[in-house]
Amino acid sequence: MSHFFALHRFRLMSAVCLLAGGLLHGQFVYAQNKPLRIGVPTSVQLQVGRDTLTAVKMAVDEINKKGGVLGRKFEFVSADETENPETGISAIKKLTADEKVDVLIGGYTSGVTLAQLPHISAAKTIYLGVGAASPSITNKVKQDYDNYKYIFRVGPVNAAHQARALVDFISNFVIGELGYKKIAIVGENAKWVQDLVPILSKGAKDVGADVRLTELFDTQTSDFSPLLAKVKSSGAQYMVVVLSHASSDVFAKQWHDAQVPVPYGGIDVKSMDGDFFQRIGGKSISEIAANFAVRAPLTKKTIPFFDEFKKNSPNFPVYTAFFAYDAVFIYADAVKRAGSFDTEKVIKELEKTKHEGVAGEITFDEMHDVQTGKGKVNFMFVQWQEKGERAVIYPKELRTGKFILPPWMKK
Amino acid sequence: MEILIYGAVTSAIYAMLAVGFTLIFGVARVLNLAHGSFYALGAYSAYVLTTLAGLPLWLAALLSIGLVAVFGILVEKILIRPQRESQLGVLMISLATALVVEQVLFLTFGSEYRNVPAFIDTKFNLWGVDVAGQRLLTLAVAVVAIGGLYAFIQFTRLGSAILAISQDPLAAKYMGIPSDRIFSLVMGISAGLAALAGVMAGPFLSVQPSMHLLPIVKAFAIVVVGGLGSIPGSIAAAFMLGYAETLVAYGISGSWTEIVSVLATLLMLVFRPAGLFGKRAAF
Amino acid sequence: MKTFKGLDAVSSWAGLAALVLLAVMPVVFTSNYLVGVLTVAAIYGIWSVSWDFMSGLTGRENFGHSLFIGVGAYAAGFLNVQFGLGPWWSLPVSMLVAMVFALVLGFPTLRLKGPYFALAMLSSAVIMQRLMLIFWEYTGGEEGIQDITPLIANHLHYYWFVLAVLGIVTLLLSWLAKSRWGLILRAIRGDEATCLAAGLPITHYKILSLVISAAFAGLGGALYAHYQLQVSPQLFAVVTSITVITMVYVGGMGSIYGPVGGALLLTVMTEGLRDFGEWRLMVYSMLLIFILFFLPNGIIAPVWHKWRHKGQQP
Repeated sequence: MSHFFALHRFRLMSAVCLLAGGLLHGQFVYAQNKPLRIGVPTSVQLQVGRDTLTAVKMAVDEINKKGGVLGRKFEFVSADETENPETGISAIKKLTADEKVDVLIGGYTSGVTLAQLPHISAAKTIYLGVGAASPSITNKVKQDYDNYKYIFRVGPVNAAHQARALVDFISNFVIGELGYKKIAIVGENAKWVQDLVPILSKGAKDVGADVRLTELFDTQTSDFSPLLAKVKSSGAQYMVVVLSHASSDVFAKQWHDAQVPVPYGGIDVKSMDGDFFQRIGGKSISEIAANFAVRAPLTKKTIPFFDEFKKNSPNFPVYTAFFAYDAVFIYADAVKRAGSFDTEKVIKELEKTKHEGVAGEITFDEMHDVQTGKGKVNFMFVQWQEKGERAVIYPKELRTGKFILPPWMKK
Repeated sequence: MEILIYGAVTSAIYAMLAVGFTLIFGVARVLNLAHGSFYALGAYSAYVLTTLAGLPLWLAALLSIGLVAVFGILVEKILIRPQRESQLGVLMISLATALVVEQVLFLTFGSEYRNVPAFIDTKFNLWGVDVAGQRLLTLAVAVVAIGGLYAFIQFTRLGSAILAISQDPLAAKYMGIPSDRIFSLVMGISAGLAALAGVMAGPFLSVQPSMHLLPIVKAFAIVVVGGLGSIPGSIAAAFMLGYAETLVAYGISGSWTEIVSVLATLLMLVFRPAGLFGKRAAF
Repeated sequence: MKTFKGLDAVSSWAGLAALVLLAVMPVVFTSNYLVGVLTVAAIYGIWSVSWDFMSGLTGRENFGHSLFIGVGAYAAGFLNVQFGLGPWWSLPVSMLVAMVFALVLGFPTLRLKGPYFALAMLSSAVIMQRLMLIFWEYTGGEEGIQDITPLIANHLHYYWFVLAVLGIVTLLLSWLAKSRWGLILRAIRGDEATCLAAGLPITHYKILSLVISAAFAGLGGALYAHYQLQVSPQLFAVVTSITVITMVYVGGMGSIYGPVGGALLLTVMTEGLRDFGEWRLMVYSMLLIFILFFLPNGIIAPVWHKWRHKGQQP
């Protein structure tokens, strides 16, 4: 058997080369230009990526059903940016230089997006972010408008806004309603958390919280027992978490199994997933996770979007989906108002956006960053309750259920 | 106190992984980078058998170990054996295998974490420390498994054969010991042990497709520190490492724990390359 | 048959032809994307060639090559962003920094055999990566350093520059490999004891070859930094070292020129497989197993060898 391969080595090698060459050549065939092409750089192997794509597809289908925009139909193509800057940069290049897309919608990891910015700017293509929260991304728009005016963030609200929302949650709810003054702050060691925690700490202290412990752990950590034990012994009454890429599933499971007498909540991206509770056998009960939308009438579009999404996907949408869906329409509307696809004109119109989205009304500030506030996109605090039901606990105006304690803490 | 108990559990898991890794190296001189994959597959197959096939947990666990052991034997026979002359070749192909396994898991199960049910769901309170039952069980199982393995090697004929091959492959062959079959057996044991670790630790550690990476790096570190090919060395090193990490996590912060194992490896290599109990010197 | 710098005529012309072909391709296909892919491939080529020079010849597989790559890249980043120096300074400085690291690490580790040396280098690289993350206030943590200025703004011209560097490095190292130097290094791989007995200062040679290997790895790192316009701790990752080693393996270890082909092939494959979407990495790994299994001596070097010496089989 090995003889066969030894003898035919050369042919085998040529086959491999031809294969590689063929694959590569296929990439450089020019794309058709007539339909409007949306490029979606996202982490295709993750839930956030898959939901981004499903949402874009939904929006594109709706627009095409109505005949497209200015006579052009929409289509989209995706490129895997993984969570690695190098792959992210080449994804942008693939989309802009090879697929020649007209606009980019996507993003998730702030680090990757930051790395991609100079390359997006060089390609002079509009970019509507839907997943990365670092303020540094939109700061660039202010620092160097001419080069970075192409960058917009449709969602999520940036880390600084998130921190303030968290502070409000702590002061009005944790301290105000629950009476817990002693808190612990725990987060993963990632850029957006590093941006957020100082604002959070200071804000919490300003409203009278006694911050007993602040700890950032390595994103790869899979054993949280030392951390949980530290939290317990610090005397904290509530644990505020800031998690995105970290192993939230494991964290919840370990917290539950060790029956840590400290309820927790905060920003926990993975626990935003509709099936999070089920996935871990119900062990996230009583956890409060911030979310941008749940299946509730936040705007006229919220519930129809959730229901339509469920038809296209086995799960409920995560946050990138809301913003990706809105982003497509925001772009389409800007083009309609500008009366052209010309990038400069569209940018001017985008800046004037006032769009009723899935999570709230979307408008941009002077740094092209989505604004938060009454009626706009807001951070809501949602608790996992019995049987996997979710109830909005805060802000009070949107409350849909009562706060519960973890089962082992009930008196 | 917490450090004592948590450290012991962590060490136990590491020990199960390291012992298997060092066994296959000691016997077949194979540095198997797919070892972590056995760990991952153990956890995933326990997940599949319980959730999708609805089998009771103990049965799923046994089956998982068996299946992974067989898989390990196949990998050794088909992919690794032809490369055995070149150590780099073995490394590369076992690495590629690990990548493929990871991708298969990704594509089949998605990137999200999966839930492996625990044997014991209750919490125990030992000397004032809250410990999840599953962790204690893992510790107990590890002790039994490794103890059993050690006894097997020391006291049975087959065990002696394994020792013989690891000491001098050529002489063992002259004595009529079928080295190829022993390699398969050892691989099976090694893989099974890793799978056992996966099944036991799955409930409380992360179960996602890239879970094979960290264990393999740590196993490598432990085995080097303890001495390649020495089981007692691996056990001792596993405990040293487990405790070192736990101490650092408690004392300083979670971000420094990963460095501990790597730094330990580096220092050991620089100052005492044979490891603590290593029979093979590194130079 | 030694003509141009120790390389025979046919090899030299073939190398030149390959270089010209590579340079011309993006002009013919007029694609910014292709230029990007090939630039990255060329940089990986520099890394692979530098790895092969040390590890391929001496048989001491260095699993921590990413350390030299990373320090070179970060040096470029720091110089450019923190100290505001012009980008051209990065090139010599990154080489120097990498060389220093090689010296410091080489002394204690090079006396280790086989897997132990590999592990020691791997551990060092991982420690560096961790340190970059732990001291995130100074190094930018996960994001690393952004806003690095490009060396040459025009993508095509930069590509040609990198290609030229690749050509020169390959030539230089091939020449060294064929000279007495290379002979000694290969002898070290064969039997160290004999070399010692013959009175050769083995440790010096080993360390020197590591230093040279590191210098070019660092250079590649700087080129990479000025192309990607950012550096991140991912560069130090084990994955980077392993990618480079795989490229060398596929190209043919010990040949110096083989790895260039390996780098090109694998980089192109990674990008070319994008059409497979979610399946990309899976197909890539399977292809890798296929290559490793059936062509354990690599593709490029053995094929070239065979073709050259076709008529010479007894």
